[in-house]
Amino acid sequence: MHGVCFMIEVNNIRTSFSTGFIRRRVVRAVDGVSFQVEEDETLGLVGESGCGKTTLGRSILRLIEPDEGRVVVNGTDITALSRSDLRRFRPRMQMIFQDAYASLNPRMRVRESVAEPLKIHRMGDRAAIDRRVRELVEEVGLNEEHLNRRPYELSGGQNQRVVLARVLALRPEFIVADEPTSALDVSVQAQILNLIRDLGQEYHMSCLYISHDLGVIRAISNRVAVMLEGRIVEIGKTADVLDRPSHPYTRRLVAVPVRETPEPLESPVFPAAPAMVEERPGHWVEETTA
Amino acid sequence: MAKRTVLAASIGIILAYCAVALLAPVIAPYDPHAITGAPLCPPDPEHLLGTNDLAQDIFSRLIWGTRATLLLGFIGAAVTVVIGTAVGIVSGYYGGMVDEAVMRLIDVAMTIPIFPLLLILTTFFRPGIYITAVLMGLLGSFQGVRVIRSQVLSLAVADFVTGTKALGAGDGYIMARHILPNVLPLAGVKFVISAQHFMLIGIGLGFLGIGDPSVVDWGQMINRASQNGAMILGLWWWLIPPGLAVTLISLALAWLGYACEDEINPRLRLMRV
Repeated sequence: MHGVCFMIEVNNIRTSFSTGFIRRRVVRAVDGVSFQVEEDETLGLVGESGCGKTTLGRSILRLIEPDEGRVVVNGTDITALSRSDLRRFRPRMQMIFQDAYASLNPRMRVRESVAEPLKIHRMGDRAAIDRRVRELVEEVGLNEEHLNRRPYELSGGQNQRVVLARVLALRPEFIVADEPTSALDVSVQAQILNLIRDLGQEYHMSCLYISHDLGVIRAISNRVAVMLEGRIVEIGKTADVLDRPSHPYTRRLVAVPVRETPEPLESPVFPAAPAMVEERPGHWVEETTA
Repeated sequence: MAKRTVLAASIGIILAYCAVALLAPVIAPYDPHAITGAPLCPPDPEHLLGTNDLAQDIFSRLIWGTRATLLLGFIGAAVTVVIGTAVGIVSGYYGGMVDEAVMRLIDVAMTIPIFPLLLILTTFFRPGIYITAVLMGLLGSFQGVRVIRSQVLSLAVADFVTGTKALGAGDGYIMARHILPNVLPLAGVKFVISAQHFMLIGIGLGFLGIGDPSVVDWGQMINRASQNGAMILGLWWWLIPPGLAVTLISLALAWLGYACEDEINPRLRLMRV
């Protein structure tokens, strides 16, 4: 389309969870989502808690196996890869989590955590790995003395920097950032956000940035997708969508701060997904009956 | 402060028992099986705790008996912890059908009481002390699997495990480098508690007279003493020392177990897993 090279192409992806052994209940967390992310682009993903943002992020990386759909990363259909091929492909796509403290092994020092991806993929000998670790740690704004610390000896912001260094070690082309700043306080949030943006440009990474904070989304993303009950209801240029929202849900989202209320687990009723309509060039909205 | 004293004391006692077990031939004044004088002697400088009905030196038997008790406890606990940790990690990490199958099997196995089953097995097969220890370990490992698995369940979905998976690490690597180190403290506590449990079971088997007869052990000593009227005749030096020895090691292990539990619990909470 338009001759643009898409870094990521997500096609009609569906993920559901089932619970219960006798009375099986199926919850469709992601219900037919499609979008593309261009090279060097950051796509913001907003929506309230429980709308399936995190599940979508993990499904794209096959950290949760999606039920159906296709994900193409830079020309490779990763949904078709075998387990071992997928493992070899993993360095090219990475993930950052909300809770930086929980995303580091509490028993590993910073040095080991950052060196781990390099060791797993045998990127160089010990001296080379050590050099790269120091380089990375410096790049994310930490220094030598942090190398021997453990996660509980660092602050939330510092831990998130360590996670970033660990992920950057592999020079990924695509990264899913799942609310990486929402657990931090405001001043640190800005620092980490800037760091992610700067490093993203430096490393030429495409990014899917998941957040419920519209301010953060506005600051970091080129385009934004709005998610509601497992579907994307509106997608387009950030300013366009946030300033001239078309879908009733987006209007509500922009008008009032999003409440953190988890969706109740409802019995599975799967209506046919409404079609998307192009409101303005590049700004798509789900058709509403209202 | 008081906690530290208890911890130090229990470790001291356990180490002392280990030393006695290792150095038994050096410390014990007589061969535990040898006839060393008159039977049923009261304590005197020659026989610190007197002699039994077969004229064997009770003090020497007490010292040699440490070996059997520690052997049963520690070998049994090692088997329990190794099996419990291995199966618990695999079951908890993979989850799904594997986990379901293992857990249902264990639910059934756990309804079988260990002690009566051991009693039957040892009565019929008369296994040596090593086989008995391994048997105990096997039967005790069901509970170990449950304990370790429950910890692994939460670790397996922790962000650092998902993150490492995203790095492209294999399952074996994750289990060995990320899950195992985080359940080791728990496995340690399980080891200490199992050791105490198995030592008591070993004594029980000896007391019921179905221990390995070629081995000197405290259970059999108590059995022999009570069967030969040590209680009625007031031969306290025959009956009390093995009982005290058991009580002391059992207490020390229990203290150590509790102290370790206290030690790792806040840290587990801190780990948020």
